[in-house]
Amino acid sequence: MAVYDINRILVPDAPPEYEDHTAQTNYVPAPCQVACPVGTDAPSYLAYIWEGKFEQAFEAITSTNPFSSICGRVCDAPCEPACRRTDSDGPVQIRNLKRFIMEKVGHQYDPPPIPVSKKQTVGVVGAGPAGLTAAHDLCVAGYEVHVYEMTDRLGGLMIWGIPEFRCPPAVIQEDIDRLTNRCLGLKTHLNTALGDGVTLDQLKERHDAVLLTIGAWWGKRMQIPGESDDRVVDGVSFLRRINGGERPTLPATVVVIGGGDVAMDACRVAKRLPGCKHVKVIYRRGPDEIPARSIELAGAIKEGIEFIYNTQQVAVEPRGMELSLRCVKTELGEPDSDGRRRPVEVTGSEHEIVCGMVIAAVGQKSESDDLDQRGMMLPDRVRADFDGMRTDDPKVFAAGDGAFGGSTIVMAMHHGQRAAYYVKAFLEGRQNPMPYRTPYRTRHVPVAQDLEWEKLPLHEPEFFGLGEKPIDFPEIESTYSYETARREAARCYRCDAETGSADYSVQHREDIFSMARTNPMDHAKLQAMFQRRLRPRQNPFPEGRPAVLDDLTFLPANLSRLVIDPYREACQVSTDIAAKYELAQPFFVTGFDNAPAEVREAVAAGLKASNCGSVGVKAMGESVPWFQLVTPTGAVPSKDATALIFMGEAFESIEIERLFPDQLIGLAVSSLAALERVIPYALEQKFDMLLLDGTANLDGEWPELAGAPDLRILRDAIVILRRLKQEEAIDLVYFGGVRSGTDAAKLIALGAKAVVFGAAVGLAVGGEIVDGNTLRFVSDYSDLDRSQATVNIIKASSGEASMMARCTGKTKLQNLEPEDLRSITLATAQATGIPLAGRH
Amino acid sequence: MVTIDLAKIPVREANERIRQYGAEGQDVEVINPDARHHIGVGLTAEINVKIRGSAGYFCAGLTDKVHFEVDNNVGWGLGDNIYNGSVVVGGNAGAIAGVAIRGAELVIRGNMGSRAGQVMKAGTLCCAGNANFMAGYMMYGGRIIILGDSGERVGEDMAGGEIYVGGEVHSLGSDAQIVDVDGAELDDIRAFLDRYELKFKGTFKKVVNAGKNLRYATSERQVRSIPFFTFSGETDYWNAKIQEDLYIKSQIGRYRIRGYGGARELPHLSDLAFKKDLSQSDHGPDPVSKVNMYTEIGGINGATPLKLSMPVMIAPMSYGALSRSTKQAIGMASSLSSIAENTGEGGMSDAQRDAAAQLIFQCLGGRLGWNIYDMKRANGLEIYISQGAKPGFGGQLMAKKVTKELAEIRGIPPGIDLRSPSRHPDILGADDLVIKVEEFREATSYKLPVSVKLGAGRVRDDMKIAVKDGFDFVELDGMQGSTGAGGAEVMEYVGIPTVAAIMEALDALEEIGVRDKMQIVLMGGIRDGIDAAKALCLGSDAVGYGTSTIIAGGCIACMQCHVGQCVTGIATQDPEHEKRYQPAIEAQNIHRFLESVRWQIATVTHALGYTDVKQLNRDDLVALTPEAAAITRLPYEPGYRDRHLELKAKVG
Repeated sequence: MAVYDINRILVPDAPPEYEDHTAQTNYVPAPCQVACPVGTDAPSYLAYIWEGKFEQAFEAITSTNPFSSICGRVCDAPCEPACRRTDSDGPVQIRNLKRFIMEKVGHQYDPPPIPVSKKQTVGVVGAGPAGLTAAHDLCVAGYEVHVYEMTDRLGGLMIWGIPEFRCPPAVIQEDIDRLTNRCLGLKTHLNTALGDGVTLDQLKERHDAVLLTIGAWWGKRMQIPGESDDRVVDGVSFLRRINGGERPTLPATVVVIGGGDVAMDACRVAKRLPGCKHVKVIYRRGPDEIPARSIELAGAIKEGIEFIYNTQQVAVEPRGMELSLRCVKTELGEPDSDGRRRPVEVTGSEHEIVCGMVIAAVGQKSESDDLDQRGMMLPDRVRADFDGMRTDDPKVFAAGDGAFGGSTIVMAMHHGQRAAYYVKAFLEGRQNPMPYRTPYRTRHVPVAQDLEWEKLPLHEPEFFGLGEKPIDFPEIESTYSYETARREAARCYRCDAETGSADYSVQHREDIFSMARTNPMDHAKLQAMFQRRLRPRQNPFPEGRPAVLDDLTFLPANLSRLVIDPYREACQVSTDIAAKYELAQPFFVTGFDNAPAEVREAVAAGLKASNCGSVGVKAMGESVPWFQLVTPTGAVPSKDATALIFMGEAFESIEIERLFPDQLIGLAVSSLAALERVIPYALEQKFDMLLLDGTANLDGEWPELAGAPDLRILRDAIVILRRLKQEEAIDLVYFGGVRSGTDAAKLIALGAKAVVFGAAVGLAVGGEIVDGNTLRFVSDYSDLDRSQATVNIIKASSGEASMMARCTGKTKLQNLEPEDLRSITLATAQATGIPLAGRH
Repeated sequence: MVTIDLAKIPVREANERIRQYGAEGQDVEVINPDARHHIGVGLTAEINVKIRGSAGYFCAGLTDKVHFEVDNNVGWGLGDNIYNGSVVVGGNAGAIAGVAIRGAELVIRGNMGSRAGQVMKAGTLCCAGNANFMAGYMMYGGRIIILGDSGERVGEDMAGGEIYVGGEVHSLGSDAQIVDVDGAELDDIRAFLDRYELKFKGTFKKVVNAGKNLRYATSERQVRSIPFFTFSGETDYWNAKIQEDLYIKSQIGRYRIRGYGGARELPHLSDLAFKKDLSQSDHGPDPVSKVNMYTEIGGINGATPLKLSMPVMIAPMSYGALSRSTKQAIGMASSLSSIAENTGEGGMSDAQRDAAAQLIFQCLGGRLGWNIYDMKRANGLEIYISQGAKPGFGGQLMAKKVTKELAEIRGIPPGIDLRSPSRHPDILGADDLVIKVEEFREATSYKLPVSVKLGAGRVRDDMKIAVKDGFDFVELDGMQGSTGAGGAEVMEYVGIPTVAAIMEALDALEEIGVRDKMQIVLMGGIRDGIDAAKALCLGSDAVGYGTSTIIAGGCIACMQCHVGQCVTGIATQDPEHEKRYQPAIEAQNIHRFLESVRWQIATVTHALGYTDVKQLNRDDLVALTPEAAAITRLPYEPGYRDRHLELKAKVG
């Protein structure tokens, strides 16, 4: 598949004037986006649909596609076969989701008009999707663009070729109106055919550049005897007639020849017209080879159209009032130059199919006498070079079906965009512009958090078929409801989005995908991938990265130590302060002094249930052990407090007194500098504990939210105690940035006896970070929710901490020691004194 | 009856002879056993063996269809993993009698040691005397009959099966309970006792699982993972990931579980560069033909080595964590690329055996799917001690994945949240391990390489023990390794990075002067041939690919492996989801990935001027970051990073 060609490995630069995000580290265009000729950011609009952001989805859709409403109905959607979910349970219905958005907001959209800002003008011949897309892009660039159209309407084959039951005229008009309203520089000249109303010479004279998008308007002939019978018509002419408003009565049996999109439309139109009872499609290859889009084919079959495969027409003969189509059976032979297997006649298989009308949809061609006379036509299309979209005339460009053969609307739009790029370069006098490459953008929409995304089945829209009154050409399919659209959008894998894994980031994953889709003989691709993979990553630990707990890891027990089964075997988490006060787990909670009363009460209930003490200026409640923070200016020491923790620099002058014999006494230390004074003093005074404040702002409002705590205070305290040979003489309790049981276990391994949780509990009970520096309790948690969350977070943290201990082979959390840790960054090694992994 | 005198021939030779006699239909009498270890290990032909004296460790272990009678006592691990048949011991048995048995009848006329019947799956273990502590520890099925007293904590963490205690129940184990015994059961027990002429008049107390710990009470809310750049590296301390963790833990009250590998950046082989600038030269379309890549692993002690067409193996991944189709595809790809595949924990399926030309059979503490027949048809045996993603933890498989079929192959009750034991019942230290390794060698006639899988922790110490215990190679797994399910915090914060692990391992071998006595297969976050070449330069003998092969086969790295409804049909046991995976197609994709790896290793080797991958060495490397330089002791040369930028600037 072209999605995985060398361009995915060695991504060519997009021209700088386009917004393109392929250079971003955390983005790779998804296969659907790469498969889309206009590079639609489908993953983003799908994610926006899930989020209910329709305007944003609309922006993502329309930013590269001026015919989004039409595409939502009839695009051949090359994105869908490219969708990775195709191989699982079917592709995400990207086109139907586009239809949903365009149906929802497509008509409301009022785009800001773009004025003309350039002097030069461009003439565009033909108002089909290629011409109008080019005109759109050129208008957006500020040029005045004159579009010359031989019919009386804009839209080309979108108007004249698509039956109403697939795309109602109003939908087409929506796109056309959006485009014309937006492009103030767009001047239309209807009923003006090339060579008839205007000549190429005139256009070259009037305009600075000319773009020929003349379409493939005429049906090819079958080149068989008898096809001049007026009951034999070509497919595009037939559709044109019907789209012009006619509803002719057809004979009972109609045969359509061909297997492409025109054949599908023609057979389904015929089926809806009065008089027609049977429609048979004959195709010269088998059902696996038929080029029609499978959804069209399936629709036609559901509508009762008969498909006759491996059959080739050889002649048409009148047979009374009817026609006899002489056919032979075919089988597949050797591959052709285009790689498709050639149908070969089966000898003696001649037979006839009797019908009243034959519609030949065997290909289309361009015609222009004016261009032909100048020698600018290959017989049936304009001679042009795809690399620069140029004709032989340096001032004249060409694009679309008229230059490169019949294709799809979305491919025609791609041609229009390419052509506009090269025309702009020409007008700006750039000689050798960088080759055009479809730009890929992402809107970085978060991945849909739908819990069912892995299971949700593909949802096909409701199929109406012919409807109650087929001749009115009612629409064949429904548009999704929002509920359905949302479920379908949730199915998206989000191949574009960053993964949750650093080693298997989206870039790495896509490289592995590409490697897995590289033929071992494809040297160019292998070489490109080799060069790509050689590129080093950015240093994940650049200078200036602070020392953080994240950058410490535990050394597990393996052979050298007996591992303690973390699923089953016990690990003691309880401990004590100064052998006087028992802790059920080595945790305290702080931060709720100024929280709303109901939050305080709920957390207090949780702490009580967990047998966990609080640290604060205020008591949390009677039944919660209180480690009172005594500030120089605050409340006096309370006899209700289990412990008195004195704060402030002038601790030597404070009169410290136990209000009952077993009351604990401690000092809070908030600066590294103070340690040298505090520790000897505390030892001398026989204090029970030191509260080491890694935030330097212990009595502030949620001080931990300011960022990573300072781990050096713990390191230095231990260094000093060790120097004084008093390591066990006083218990250290650490506060600052403890987010999990793992953090707690690391701090305990570093030498803390216990840790104080603050913001973590605040967040667990429904607090939301406001302005990056405080918590607000605005969630709809009930009191019970909050107390249960408190219990749960303490339980989970305790479990996590003991899990770490057991991994290292410890049956007591307190037995964790610095030797159980390694650093993974030099900064953390320095701040904690823990050696780097791999070093000893 | 043939007599074998163990005073005259060593056990190894005796076992060969017993095997032969078994095949010929002759019964055997062993005299002068003198409590030697491994007597009768690995027999699979029907035979009666009488041991006239006492036997040591693992008597009658890893056998099927055998009938043993031991006159006196036995050491620990009696009847290890036996399928069918019987073992009758006249005296006492040491610890873990009936460990991991899958059937058969074991009768001990005296007392038995602690942890009897640990992780047993089926069969009957009967002790006429008293049991020591934790009888039935983590048993999954079968029955234990204790005519005397139970010992402490009987039925500790049992998941299935029944324990009948005729004497006193000293204390019940965690999650065990006593229930009523019905008449039919009693009749069956009586019939059993009569068969072995055991007299018992009393009644029984029946101990079974209480069902409190088999499944988590509240399930963790499934969320699609947060992209790593929003929480790894230079991001907010209280980032979205932290907040999500706190939210979920505050709902469930326990640690979080998820699948896949580490979420955040760690020092990695990516932080090293080749000294020579390889970015500008093209080394021709066929570097593979210019470089010798053939590598043998596992033959250093005389076993038949794994023959690898390049120094690459598939990392161990279980059928269980992965669907059967996925294991099949990986096996096929390993054959197409002529490298070795590994069963991981979940046992060996026929599909897997047929698909992989060379297959290592991994043995874990739960002995899930472990059996003598699959040992014999393996190309290597591996003792799992731990893995990089979650060292210290046994495998974890959520109930959703424990289907009937999977439970059957593993020998466990279906529908439980399976948390495999963290330790082997019979490996409590380096000295036990030697005996275990010998048992495996005995059972497979010393033909297969025996390796050890080690998650990276105290690698220096662990490597020395691995050498001492006589392993043929080590699969060394750094903390960047992935897993199907594990504690999220353990994945991020336990272990050391792969690049640090290899350095410590080499240091250890250097320190005791045995670099040539051990081969190292390095794994954990190795993603391409460039990573591999760097690992080889540093001193690995080969590398292992796990996650990369899964991705090559269609994994989208959504990190929801633990949920069990993998959208691509890889990490699932749900047939509706597995249907989504096309093994034949994905095998080709994985194969092409491996061939791309081969091309890259060959290109590096050739570009550095070598003709053999074994010539790659650390002098070819520099470090791009201070951390990588400090860990690897390579020169710190940040300037080498800019080569690529300069080149790009020049071209642009």
